[in-house]
Formats: sequence, C-alpha cells, structure tokens
Amino acid sequence: MLAPGDLRPLVEVCDLVVSYGAVRAVDGVTISVAPGEVLGIVGPNGAGKSSLLAAVGGQLRPTSGQIRLDGVDVTKLPPHRRARRGVVRTFQDTSEFGRLTVFENLLVAGLGMHGASLYAATVGARAQARRTATAAERAAELLARFELEPMRDTYAMELSGGQRRLVEVMRGLMREPKLMLLDEPTVGVAPHLSEQLRREYRRIAASGVAVLMIEHVLEVVEEVSDRVVVMDNGSVIAEGTYDQVMQSQAVREAYLG
Amino acid sequence: MSFSSLDFYLATVVVIFGVDVLSAWGLNLQYGYAGIPNFSFIVFQAAGAYTAAILTLGPMTATSGQTYVAGTHVPFPVALLAAVAAGAALSAVIGVFAMKRMRADYQAAILLILALILNQFIVTDTSLFNGTSGLANVSRPLGSLVNPSTTGWQWAYAALVWAICAVVLFAVQRLSRSSWGRALRAQRDHDAAAAALGCNVVALKMQVFVIGGAIAGLSGGLLVFYLQAFNTASWGYEETLAIFVSILIGGVANNWGVILGTFLVQIVFVEVPNLLPQFGYIGLVDALEWVVIGLLWMAAIALRPQGVIPERRVRAERFGLPALRRALPAATAAAAPGQQGAHEERLGATGGASRR
Amino acid sequence: MSSVVVESIGFGIVDASIISIGAMGFSLQFGLTNVFNIAYGTVLTLGAFAAYLAEQWGVVGWYDVLIGAGVGVIATWLIGKGILATFARRNLGLFELITVSLAVELVVQYSVDAADGEQLFSYSFDQGRALRFLGMVFTVTEVEIIGVAVGAFVLLECLLRLTKTGKALRAVAEEPRLARACGIPTSRIVNVAWVLSGALAGVAGVVYIINSLTVSAFTGTDFLPLLLAAAILGRAGSVSGAVVASLAIGIATQLVAAVGGTGYSTIAGFGILVLVLLARPGGVTSGLALKTEVTL
Repeated sequence: MLAPGDLRPLVEVCDLVVSYGAVRAVDGVTISVAPGEVLGIVGPNGAGKSSLLAAVGGQLRPTSGQIRLDGVDVTKLPPHRRARRGVVRTFQDTSEFGRLTVFENLLVAGLGMHGASLYAATVGARAQARRTATAAERAAELLARFELEPMRDTYAMELSGGQRRLVEVMRGLMREPKLMLLDEPTVGVAPHLSEQLRREYRRIAASGVAVLMIEHVLEVVEEVSDRVVVMDNGSVIAEGTYDQVMQSQAVREAYLG
Repeated sequence: MSFSSLDFYLATVVVIFGVDVLSAWGLNLQYGYAGIPNFSFIVFQAAGAYTAAILTLGPMTATSGQTYVAGTHVPFPVALLAAVAAGAALSAVIGVFAMKRMRADYQAAILLILALILNQFIVTDTSLFNGTSGLANVSRPLGSLVNPSTTGWQWAYAALVWAICAVVLFAVQRLSRSSWGRALRAQRDHDAAAAALGCNVVALKMQVFVIGGAIAGLSGGLLVFYLQAFNTASWGYEETLAIFVSILIGGVANNWGVILGTFLVQIVFVEVPNLLPQFGYIGLVDALEWVVIGLLWMAAIALRPQGVIPERRVRAERFGLPALRRALPAATAAAAPGQQGAHEERLGATGGASRR
Repeated sequence: MSSVVVESIGFGIVDASIISIGAMGFSLQFGLTNVFNIAYGTVLTLGAFAAYLAEQWGVVGWYDVLIGAGVGVIATWLIGKGILATFARRNLGLFELITVSLAVELVVQYSVDAADGEQLFSYSFDQGRALRFLGMVFTVTEVEIIGVAVGAFVLLECLLRLTKTGKALRAVAEEPRLARACGIPTSRIVNVAWVLSGALAGVAGVVYIINSLTVSAFTGTDFLPLLLAAAILGRAGSVSGAVVASLAIGIATQLVAAVGGTGYSTIAGFGILVLVLLARPGGVTSGLALKTEVTL
C-alpha cells in the first residue's frame, strides 16, 4: 500500500480565512490532502469545520487565502466549475433531489449531464444520447455495487436517511471525482448502513480519491481517516494520526473546555 | 342563446383555452420544473400583447384616438415573432436581477412587486400604451384568407392557436425530458447540491426564465389578435395567480396535467359563469371568482403542495435498463430490512427532510 | 428650480411618514416570524376602511387612528395566528407560506371589493392651514402625520431598547434558535410582534386615508410595493433601518415626480426595487437571505 502523504497533495489549502462580519469562522487554516488519503477534521461545534469544507467546495467565498487543486488556483471558481474539475461533496443535511428518482439523481451527476448547454441537450441529440448511455451504464453499476437496485425508480424523498446518504455518495462517484468532501457522512444512518458507508469511504480512497471528512463520531474518524486535523475557534490546533492528536494537550483542553 | 352566438362563444372559449394552456406551459417550465416563483408572469404576456398590437396598429395619427409608441404595419407572423422576442427580452433584463441566488419567498416577493409596479407604471404613463384604456382596434390577421367578421375566421384562428400549442407542447416536452430539464428539476429540489455536481444553476434558471418569457409573449400576441384589444386591467397580478392555481391543480411539472388544470380553472371556473344569469352589480361575479381562486389556492397548498396530479416518474427502463420486477421479496428485504428502514426514516426526518 | 426641489423634499417627508409606519410594522413582523406576509397590504386596507366607517358613524378626527390600530391588530392576529401558523405547522416551506399569504390577500381584497360594490370611497378630514418651514409647505394635518410617524418610531425604539420584552424581540429577530436556547419564550415574543405590526399596519391605513382622502379595496395592495421595498432596503427586523429607507424612498419618488412628472415616480419606485435587489438578498453569505426557520 502506498503511504498516503508521500504523494504530491491533490488539494492544498493555504492560510484560508472565512469571516462572517466580524466573526472569523476559519482563521488562517493550512491543510493538504493527497490522492488516496482520508483526512478527518474534528473539533467542537462552531470550530469552523463546515465553513472550511464549504470554502473548499466553493459554496462559500473565502475572505483571503488560497485553495489549489492539482496545483491550479481554484479559490475564485464557483462550485459548478470546481465540480467539473473533480470536486464532489455531501452535505450535512442530506441533499437528495427529492422529486427525482434514485436513478435520475445519479443521471444528473453523470459527466456532461449537467445541462450546461441547452443546444447539446436538445438539438445536438446524438452526442448527448451517447453521454446519457454512458451515465446510465455507470449508474447501473453503482446501483449494483451499493445494493440499491430495487430502489432505482423510487423518488429520493421516499428513502430512509441512510439510503439518502448512499445516494449522495453514489452521485459523487458518478463524476469520477478526484476530491470528495464529506460533511458528517454517518449522521442519521442506521448501523448496518453506516458500516457499509464506512467500507465504501475506505474503498473510494483506495481508488485514488482524496477524501476530506468532517465527522463527530470519533470511532468513525479512527476507523476511516489516515490523518486527523483538530480545529478549534477557526484554527488548526493539532494534526497527525488519530492516536497522535488524541494525546495532544491542546486537543484535551479544547474538548474539555 | 341563438346558435350563432353560441358558435361565437364556443370559438372564443377554444381560443382562450389555447392561450391559457400556452401560458400555463410557460409558467410550468419556470415554476414546475425550475422552481422559479414567477409572480410577474403576466407582465411578459402583456409585453407580447402590446408589442404585437403596436406593430400592427400602424403609425399613431390624430384620429387613432389612442396614444402608443412605435406604431408600424408589419405582417402577422413578424408581429407574432416580435411578441415572442419581447417576452424573452424583457425576461432576460429582469432575470439579470431576479435570478440571482436568493430565498424562494424573497424572489417571489420581488417578482410580485415588479408586476405591481410595472402595472402602475403603464397606467400612469399613458404615452406608452394608452394607460388604463389600453390599446384597441387591433385588426384581425389573415383577413385575406378568411373574412374576419365571420365565425369561420374565429374557428380558423382557434385551429391556428391549437396548432401552435401542439408545436409548443412538443418543444416543452422535449426540453423537460432532456438532460437540461433533469438538471433544472435537480436544482429546483436542492440548488447547492446541483451546483456541486456541475450544474450552473444561475445560467439554467436564466435560460428557463427567458424560454418561459418567450412562451408568455407568444400567448400574449395570440390573445391580442383575437380580442383586438388589450388593457392594463387584463394583466393584474391576480391573473398570474389563476395560472398558478391551474398548475397546482393540474400537476406541477406535468405538461399534460396542466391542460386539465387549465380547463378546470380557466374554462369551467372562470368562463362558464359568464354563461349563467348575472346577479348583483357588474363585476360582483368577477370579484367573487377571485375570492374563490384564492381559497382554491390555499386548499391546493394545504392538500397537495406538489400538485394534485404528480410529476411523472421517469423510470430507468427509458435508459435501457431491464424493467424492475415488482414485489420481489428477496430484493426488497436485502435493501431495506423493514424495521431498520423505519428507524432510519425517523432519523432521516430530522436530518434530511428540511427542504420543501 | 431649487424651490421645487425643496418643496418636493417636503412632500417626500410626508410620504415617507406614511410609508415608514407601515414599513416599521412589516419589518418587525418579517424580522421575527421570517414569513413574508403579503397579506399585510390588506390589513392596511382594512384599517383605512375602519376609519371610513367610523367617520360614517360620527367618530371623526384622530380617534380613527385608534380604531384603525385595533382593527389592524385583530386582522393581523387572524391572518398570522389563524391562517399562516396553521399552514406553517404543516411543515410547508417559505415559498408555500408566501403564496398562502398572497392567497389571503386575494381573498380579503376581493371580499371587500365584492362587499363594497367596487367603489372608491371619499373620506373627509380637515387638512388645516398651510405652514411654511425652510421653504417647504405643510398643512397642519401633514405635520400631525409626521408627528404620528415620529411618535411611533420613538415609542418602538424605546420599547426595543429599554424594556425586557423589547430586548427579547431583538434577540429573537437576530437568532431565534439562540434566543430559545437562552430561555426566551419565543412564541410569546412573536405574539407581541404580531400585535405591534398589526397595530402599525392599521395606523398606516388610517394615516393613508387621512392624507389621500380616498379608499378602495385595492388601497393597501397598491401601497404595498413601496412599503416592502422600504422594509427590505432597511433590513428586515430593523425599525430604524425601515425609517431611513422610507425617507429615502419617499423623497426620491417625490423628487422624480417633480422633475419628470407624476408618471415617473413609479419609475423611481422601480429603480429603488432594483437597488434593493442589488443591495440585499444577492450575497450567499448574508444571514437573512438564507435563514429558513419560521417562528410563528
């Protein structure tokens, strides 16, 4: 197995600051994630974890700092442009498209299926039909891999919390991502699905995807992450393997107040 | 009621039905598929109507008895195309401001205010489209083919309107089933997630806003050539609400259902009372109709906010996958063991079901 | 020329007074409940009609303001606690709630229209003699209207800044979840907001009829755009913001009317709306723009 961290980092966040008015939610964070690595972010509520993730995903415009993907500065790119460069994410509240079927949820995520070109989608039908066929094939594979085939034609709003989470992850995989951002990926998931999800996260990383994950449940962090970053008050207070950071004095203070 | 007046009335209803169905499809693209609460939809219909009118009324003279701008004589098809362009262009201008990312209720309020202000503006500035009186004496097109003062002309026009409807239905169905339409529905259900999957949400909304505006302009143009007149009273914000109610009843994001909804609301409910004996003062029936439209609206929202006839489920068979075998106990059990599923559902309700 | 400008500033201040009374109420209501209540416009209409009817029964002068306030409170309570809260309990989104309030507006407006026979009613109110002040001309009544607006503003500000209830109101408007966590009885505070905003809407309606001397079923709806623009521009939940925005809107529309003719004052309204759009809800990070929790 490749030792994660030996590779050139896929995503580099340099001195990132996100402020809301006078409050600095993220205050000068520098982190990086290599391909095939899972970086877990932990920290108390309000530590700035979600803001950090949103800045990397493009949902929030950072106040200052830089985000590089594959060495390219993407700090000013809107989320859809980052997505087209291989960034996908899940949301803290699951983000399924409720009135689309599970299968359609996957199709939307297919490469070239984002409806950017009205012309391609309607008039340039042949090329688009090819793309649709490719996406449908991939969607079928994913449905099999995640054992969701029977729910294929179910509206996503009718799924359970865990199944919604699965759909989100599958949607991300439709795009053959380079970087996957996970915001509390096991919240609201029943135990047997949680196990399945955690296996999948490891498998995704093993396929060479860089994974940046926020997680509250420490067992999940321990099991899934290669490396852990602890945040408090917008800053990184510890970084290392799970065992290293859990022994850090700063972390104990942050958690125990 | 004599035969000829019944004939006249029926032709009128058929034309108005067609025009209303067109507008409902336009608004359904915007609201049903894209989630844009376009409460100023009727403004774009008015833009089409006024454009078609002034382009065929001819230059304003001392004897025309009404004031307007840019009067010319152009052929009917050109005027109709101009009506489409006017609806689309106005949508593009307004869309630049109103399609930015914002709260749905904010967007709804802003579009509503826009409709109110533009209406007031046309009323006060009489030089543009003759204020409250509106434009009249628009001549009926295609007079060289059929005598415009006969019911034969009316039926011919009705046939034209419905032929156009057929074309528009084909277009909207094709659009809504394409990957573009799917992306639209996706961003309607969760815009941030759609953007995170590569959809340019603002561009998508802008495109559908302009397409809907073009359809609105088309319907306005068709209407003004039939009625031969158009005034500001015909495009109060209430008219948009009637279209919304048709969509809610007929089916959000369901273009066939919308035909039924439009028939029930705009024809059975709004037009048929005109046939009944009138009571009270003039206008009482209209006022009461709006009261009931409001009540219908609330009932529809309370009972089925996603529409009475649901959106059509797009099955994976359409994309070449083998059909699902229903009630396959083994498969169902494997994916969602009964009790576990119920447990998650409760957890999921706190985490996931917050949007719409 | 300059005297025309100064005079229209005077007219603008009178307009702004009427707008601000309504805008303060709307701002308070929207800021606290987070529901964009379009039916607020009909409450204005009902307040104005209450004054009209009171005059018919012989109650004249400024007593009508109190009657209007009472009618406003009752109507707002019925709409807010009766209808909107019922719908909110069904877990509907913000968009569904605004549509419901719009439907309420439609129902009430056309019920009034049906009941009154689609007429425009005249109201009589002695406007008093003309007073001159710094080149501006006011009637006695107009000065009194300005007084009502200033009085309402001062009272509200005192309430919000000095009393415990007022501080709780501000806390709920800023951060409803936090306020609830701190033990503030949110629902009771929201009730206070319904009452206050209802009273202000009613007073705005009466002041409107005192100034314009006519009322119809559509009075409130026609007046609504300016009022909403002021409330949004002044930032929902901020009473002083609503007043400042009202002044800007009132004076701007009157100035444009003086320069370009009355027809163009609606263009000024339109311009302000565009300004509101550019200034307010565009930013993804602006807290209010994405706040989705309803408190009723």
